[in-house]
Amino acid sequence: MDTETILTTARLLIEDLSEKVESPEVDRLDFYLTDPKNVIVAAAGLRVKHLGYLSAITGIDPGIDQEVLEVLFHFCTGYATITLRVNVPKDSPEINTLTEIIPGAEPFERELSEMFGVKVIGLRNPAHLYLPDDWPDGVYPLLKDFQPEMLNEPS
Amino acid sequence: MQKTKIDNKFTVPIGPQHPALKEPAFFSLNVDGEIVTNAYVRLGYAHRGVERAAEERNWVQTQYLLERICGICSHIHSTAYCLGVEKLAGIEAPPRAQAIRILVAELERIHSHFLWLGVASHEAGFDTLFMYSWRDRETVMDILESLTGNRVNYSANLLGGVKYDVDSEQEDIIRNGLEYLEERLNYYLGIVTSDALFLKRTRGIGGMTRNQAEVLGAVGPTARASNVQRDIRVEAPYSAYKKYPVSIVLETNGDLEARFIVRVKEMIESCHLINQILDNLPEGELVVRMKRRIQPGETVVRVEAPRGELFYFIKSNGTDKPERIKVRTPTICNMSSVVKLAIGSQLADIPVILAGIDPCFSCNDRSVQINYQKRKKTLWTWEELRNYGIRYYNGNS
Repeated sequence: MDTETILTTARLLIEDLSEKVESPEVDRLDFYLTDPKNVIVAAAGLRVKHLGYLSAITGIDPGIDQEVLEVLFHFCTGYATITLRVNVPKDSPEINTLTEIIPGAEPFERELSEMFGVKVIGLRNPAHLYLPDDWPDGVYPLLKDFQPEMLNEPS
Repeated sequence: MQKTKIDNKFTVPIGPQHPALKEPAFFSLNVDGEIVTNAYVRLGYAHRGVERAAEERNWVQTQYLLERICGICSHIHSTAYCLGVEKLAGIEAPPRAQAIRILVAELERIHSHFLWLGVASHEAGFDTLFMYSWRDRETVMDILESLTGNRVNYSANLLGGVKYDVDSEQEDIIRNGLEYLEERLNYYLGIVTSDALFLKRTRGIGGMTRNQAEVLGAVGPTARASNVQRDIRVEAPYSAYKKYPVSIVLETNGDLEARFIVRVKEMIESCHLINQILDNLPEGELVVRMKRRIQPGETVVRVEAPRGELFYFIKSNGTDKPERIKVRTPTICNMSSVVKLAIGSQLADIPVILAGIDPCFSCNDRSVQINYQKRKKTLWTWEELRNYGIRYYNGNS
C-alpha cells in the first residue's frame, strides 16, 4: 500500500469520529477525535486495515492556564504517520486502555499515566514503571506546573 | 479421593543489580521447577527526566542533552533531533553533511552490533566469541575516534549540518578497517550458524513468530529476525538513505540464532553501504545557517537506530526553547516481547533471551551514567593510555 492510499483509507475510516482533520506535514494526518472513548474504535480500525502500528503515545500539557491535556496516539507505517488526538480535562483525565487490541501499548500507557496523571482505565498493571516507588501521589513531572520542590513537601 | 492443587509457584527476583546484565532492571519471574510461568519487569533505575530537562534548555543545548541519552547510539539520537528541528525551521543540511551523518550512523551500527554480539555470546556462555568480537570492535571505535575525536558521544552533528569532514587519509583508514571487519564478520557468520555447542543455546530458543512480533510491536533486528519488514532506512528512507539504498536483512525463524544472523549480516551490509558512501561522497559545504528561534509547529521523526525504530515528536512554540520533546526508544517496544517470550522458557535461558533483544536501559530510562573519580585531572593521549594499560598489566601479572 502506498502512503497516499493509507492516508485516504484512514480518512474514510476515522473522519466521522473526528471534529477536524489536519495534515500538518506531507505524509502526516492528524485526527482530532470528538470523544476520548473513540480512540479504541479508531485504533481497531487502523489495525484491522493494516494502516500502521502504534509507534508511540505522547502526552502534552499545553500550559498552566489551559484546562485540558492532549494525548496523541501515533500510528506509523512506511512514510505515513496517522495521529489520533484527544483532549482530556485536567481535573479528571481519563482514557481507556488499548492493551486489549494492542498488547504492546502497555508501557506507553503506564508512562503516560505516571508522567501526566492520566488515568488509564482497564490497565492490567497500573504500578509505576519508571518513577520510584516512593514518588509522592498526585505529583506528575511532565505537567508544566511541576516544580522539583514538590518532592520535598510532606504528602 | 479429592485432588488438591498444590501451588508450586516460586518467585525468583532478578535485579535491579545482577551479574547477568551490566545495567539495572528488575525482573520478577514466577517459576514452576525450571520453567518460567510468569514474568514482570520494573524499569526506571536509570531514569533522569531528560524529556523535562529538554524543555528547560534552548535548541542548541538540547541537542547535546539528547545525545547523552545513550552512550552506544548517541549519534542516532542527535540525528533524529537535528532532522526534526531542521524540518521545523524549514532548512535542509547540505548533501555532503547528510552523507557524513549516515556514514557515522552506519559506523555506530557496526560498533553497537559488535558490542551486542559480544554481550549475547557471553550470556550464552561462549566467551571466546565475546573476546574476539570486542577486540574487533576496537577497529570501528578507532575509526570513529579518528573521524570525530571521540569513541562514544561523537558529537558529529550540528543543527544544520555536521562538524567533521572526511579527508582522503581518513577515507583510507575507514576502508582498511572495513576490509578487515568484513572478513571477520563472514567468519563469525559461519560460527554462529555452525558451532554445535553454541547452537544448543540459540537454535529454537526464545522463538517469536511473525504474528507475535507484529502484535507486540517489536522493532529493529528483533522484528526482522521474525520476518517482519520493519526498517525505517528501507520503508521510509530519510536524509541520505534516499541516495544510498539499503537492502533489508530478514530471517524467518525468529529464534536467537536468527537474531545473531540478522545482526551479523546487517553489519556486513553496513560495511558495503559505507564503502558506497565513500565512493560517491558529494562535494560541498558541511553546514547551513540555522536560526536561533524556530517557528511554532510540530513534527514527527522516525529513524533506524541500531536497536530499531527511534521515534521523536518535537513541538516548538516559537521561542528559543522546545515546548515538548517526546522520545520513544526501541528497547521499550522490544521489552514487551521479552516478558512474553520468557513465559514457558527455561530459567537458564532468560539472560540470553533478554540479551537477544539488545536491551539498552539508559535509552529506556533516558539517563546518563557518570564516572566520577577524585583524582587530579590529567589529559592523556590514546597512546599514553594504551601504554599505561600495558605497563599496568605487565607489572601486575
